[in-house]
Amino acid sequence: MKRRTFLLALSTTLIVAFSSAQTPEPPSILVSRQLAETEGLAEGDVVRLALDAAGAGARPFRIAGVYEPTPDPMRLGTVPREVRMHLPDLLALTSDDDAPTGAEHVARINIALADPANARAFARSVNGRAPGVFARRAAATGSASTFVVLERFHLAIAVVTIVAATVFLLALTIMLVDERRETVGVLRLIGLPAPRILLQVLLEGLLIASAGALFGLALAWVSEGLINRFFQWRYNTALIFVQVTPRVAALCVAIAVPLGASATLAASWALMRRGALRLARR
Amino acid sequence: MTNAVYHDTVLFADRVSRVFQMPAGPVVAVRDLTLTITQGEHAAIRGPSGCGKSTLLHMLGCVDTPTSGRLLFDGHDVTTLGDRARSLLRLRQIGFVFQRFFLLPMLTAAENVELPQAEAGVPKAERARRTFELLDYVGLAPRAGHRPSQLSGGEMQRVAIARALANRPRLLLADEPTGELDQTTGEQVAALLDRVNADGTALVIVTHDPALAGRARRILTMRDGRIEHEATQ
Repeated sequence: MKRRTFLLALSTTLIVAFSSAQTPEPPSILVSRQLAETEGLAEGDVVRLALDAAGAGARPFRIAGVYEPTPDPMRLGTVPREVRMHLPDLLALTSDDDAPTGAEHVARINIALADPANARAFARSVNGRAPGVFARRAAATGSASTFVVLERFHLAIAVVTIVAATVFLLALTIMLVDERRETVGVLRLIGLPAPRILLQVLLEGLLIASAGALFGLALAWVSEGLINRFFQWRYNTALIFVQVTPRVAALCVAIAVPLGASATLAASWALMRRGALRLARR
Repeated sequence: MTNAVYHDTVLFADRVSRVFQMPAGPVVAVRDLTLTITQGEHAAIRGPSGCGKSTLLHMLGCVDTPTSGRLLFDGHDVTTLGDRARSLLRLRQIGFVFQRFFLLPMLTAAENVELPQAEAGVPKAERARRTFELLDYVGLAPRAGHRPSQLSGGEMQRVAIARALANRPRLLLADEPTGELDQTTGEQVAALLDRVNADGTALVIVTHDPALAGRARRILTMRDGRIEHEATQ
């Protein structure tokens, strides 16, 4: 079982107090970076934690380290002021002397599996072996469906952007090629065959499209850093908001370069169908 | 025509016509015209505007295709050639000089002259030598590095002539070559064309200018798409 299984959010009930070292040595805990920053905690400090807001029944713990909570997009906007502790310490802290089950009472624990695909089988197995324990898959399905919707939304935006960019690019290319119609006309009059000029234009288009794609990627990489830094600062999280992966970069180049070259070729082809004299005479 | 006739013939237009389909109906620019241009010939085509002389010149230069009739260059029918073959024929065998020069503005005078040679596959060293030779021939060697915008009209036309001669064409066609030049500059360009012809290149000039036409040994006067009168001097 992984250590993060024992994560317990105590953000609303946590009482943090500084105290001098006591004997016996207090149990060790980990505190989230956000909590450490908020309360000015450091490794080696001893804090007192209690379930009660007034501090009743507080117990001392020594901070063994500061950790970065696993970013969770579903909890965006909630600053994770958390501690992690060993299960016996948690039980000791949360035990209710009046409750019949005493120190063994735990309402709920989360278990992370090495292979999440086994979650259903694992829950079935636990339910069969431990009477009184109800195991079920966490709400992964719900959050996943949220992200599926987001993915589709992003895809729709991407498609609209590409279609709009294509129209814009084609219009721009037609204007640029049209500006060179006199040059093309002169080249045709001198005796350059149309395919030779088309090839030249295509090469130029490829070069410009490649340069444009590289510029776009560089811009995306710079923006990625800026956007992530801003929102990580804004929400005090290590969550990555934008990521230009090699696959995304390759996809962009694979779309942009042929698109640019095709737009150039289409614009030039329309020009090439006119007579050399008409082109040269503008 | 027999092969014997072909011997000195550079170009033979055999009953060529050119009809333009216009919204208001067909316009016959050149009708049933027969013309022979021989090696080293100096011909001028005159006539009123719209008589078809420029259309004829464009057909002779393989820029335009006759609607009917045959055009033989060096004995080979070029009317049936595809665009690529006609382009290559223009590149290697026919030089063109236009009223508006049609130099490429982003290239220097030398680069403009070098371009057709590069396209014809002439090696770089030979191109450079030939370019210098041509610019020297037209009196513009010191202006080799200048762009068209830095040249006068007469100088641009001389560069255009040098470019037209770049691949040693057998035929040089000039469409109103002095049309945009003042009289003095026009005479200089006319003298240069005379020299080109004297050096062995067949020259056909379309012009309104009687003085320029008067320098030709053969003067053809066109009207309504036909050669109305022909004179030799």
